Amino acid sequence: MATLDHPELRESLNILLKNARPRLERVLRNFEIPPEDAEDILQDSQLTLLYKWDKIRSPESWLIGTVKKKCIMYWRKRRGSLCEAVDTAILDLLAVPQAPDQERAELTCDLNRVLSRLSTRCRSLLKLRYGLGYGPTEVAEQMGYRTSSIRKVTNRCLAALTRQLLAVGFDRQPEGEPQDG
Amino acid sequence: MDKHPELSLLSDFSRGRLSRRRNREIVRHLLAQCESCCREVASRCFPTLRLWKAAGEPPADYGSAFELAWQETARRQSALVSERAEAPELLRELLAQPADRQKHLAVNSLRHRTWGFCELLLDGAREWGFQEPVRAVDLSRLGVEIAERLDAATYGEARVNDLKARAWAGLGNAQRICSEFRQAEEAFVRAERLLKKGTGDPLEKAQLLLLKSSLRGHQHRFREAFRLLDRVAAIGRKGGDGQLCGKASVMRGFLVGLANNPEAAIVHIAAGLRQIDPSADPRLYMVAQHNLILYLTEGGRYEEGMKLLETARPLYHQVGDQMGLLRLRWLEGRIGIALGHFAAAEAVLREVREKLIERELGFEAALLSLDLAHLYTSQGRSAEVLRLAQEMIPMFRFQDLHREAIAALLVFRKAAEMERATQGLIRDVSTYLQESRSARGLRFREPR
Repeated sequence: MATLDHPELRESLNILLKNARPRLERVLRNFEIPPEDAEDILQDSQLTLLYKWDKIRSPESWLIGTVKKKCIMYWRKRRGSLCEAVDTAILDLLAVPQAPDQERAELTCDLNRVLSRLSTRCRSLLKLRYGLGYGPTEVAEQMGYRTSSIRKVTNRCLAALTRQLLAVGFDRQPEGEPQDG
Repeated sequence: MDKHPELSLLSDFSRGRLSRRRNREIVRHLLAQCESCCREVASRCFPTLRLWKAAGEPPADYGSAFELAWQETARRQSALVSERAEAPELLRELLAQPADRQKHLAVNSLRHRTWGFCELLLDGAREWGFQEPVRAVDLSRLGVEIAERLDAATYGEARVNDLKARAWAGLGNAQRICSEFRQAEEAFVRAERLLKKGTGDPLEKAQLLLLKSSLRGHQHRFREAFRLLDRVAAIGRKGGDGQLCGKASVMRGFLVGLANNPEAAIVHIAAGLRQIDPSADPRLYMVAQHNLILYLTEGGRYEEGMKLLETARPLYHQVGDQMGLLRLRWLEGRIGIALGHFAAAEAVLREVREKLIERELGFEAALLSLDLAHLYTSQGRSAEVLRLAQEMIPMFRFQDLHREAIAALLVFRKAAEMERATQGLIRDVSTYLQESRSARGLRFREPR
């Protein structure tokens, strides 16, 4: 594919983006991307398209596919940050040395309630992490995992924990609001 | 925290932007099963799992996101067009310099450190790979130097990593063509590492896998090569890119041929040719047709090969690449011998041989000499076989002929001197030369 000159490239890009816009909006809407974050996704995808224009044979489907992928990555990243925040906070909460007994008992009880909804494997792993203060290598040794894979397993368990923590917000309709559909 | 946190705090929490103290407070609040706050955070991080929707919730308005994204794209587009307009002149300027000065410029000159220039240099290096492989390695190295110095703040870190990966893969491929397999291996490792930090563009990955499959095939690691090609074809199918599927099929055919299965090679290459659009990549189409003719010839289907060669001839001239034209003539000579047009074929092969020697392409010249020797022995012309063997000596100084290859050619020369260069020996030396190209260190076993 030959390199286009300035007006030709601008025109081609403009037409492509105009044609693709309804589909792109649908993708953003389906993934429920907040409008304030949509600009980054769109801009990054469009710039990559611009730089690789000559190498891409079906620009429109390439652009739609790239935006979809970026939407998936967007949520993956957001959930990653959330899981990390939850993990750090729980570790911090458990590490407070002079917490009153009752407060500590309540925290343990609340945490155990969430942990009880997890699979046996995740429950055991997180109990070692939170209950006994084990580091990743010790958890791997104790549970018979390879040290190279413990990070991945821990991340999966943290994701499950975060989902269970927020579970009350997933499936119940807020009071006074009608059910959709 | 007994009372509910503010919405803005929950929003920042869901993005991981809060201080550790604030995080602690919110997680403690959520652990106490505050339904409304859990729902608020869940809706921000797991929106697709939300089963309820607020009544009358207006659809998100992405108008300004599109506007702002387009403004930035248009701004970058003007800059890129200027870079691309300046690039050919900069390339001419660079190539006019001696080799050490070229590297100095690539490393130090800011004018050369643009996306447009780097891209042109990498494309140029790829073109040279078909004609002068050693030159292609030099240019690819320059391409790597420039790609490594591109400004990530201007072009975007992930995009620069993609281009760096493309540069390293190009270098690896050029080194593969020159049979420098160890260096090629290292270049591909670097390319893959960089691609992991890139945009995740599947097309970029497919191009790298395609080149790597070629390396694996030339290393005779066919199973790995075919697995890589399966991945390329899968990317092509998923993206609806027939050209990419066609490229994967042509490469598979070429590698199957390298594994001594010309019939299967013919099937795969013909399938690939049906998917490739010649106007989009005439060179690829020409190379695919060339290989198809080659395998038709190796499979003894000379008439078909000759017919296809005549159809393909205009494309060789359209692409206008000197090496391509030389290879076309070589093929004509080989088919001519098979069809019994000995005198014409001999003249063609002699002419091509001279040109290969002029270009210091020792490997090709030696292989072609063996084709000629085959013709002479079939006609009992042992004096000409001897002359041919003696004329090979100057080729030994060419850099692309390794020690073992020279040893094999010396065996041939010794046999020619003793008038014992049989067709079997010539075939053995020729096969050895082709195989040793991809397996350095392979010893030629002298027949007893």
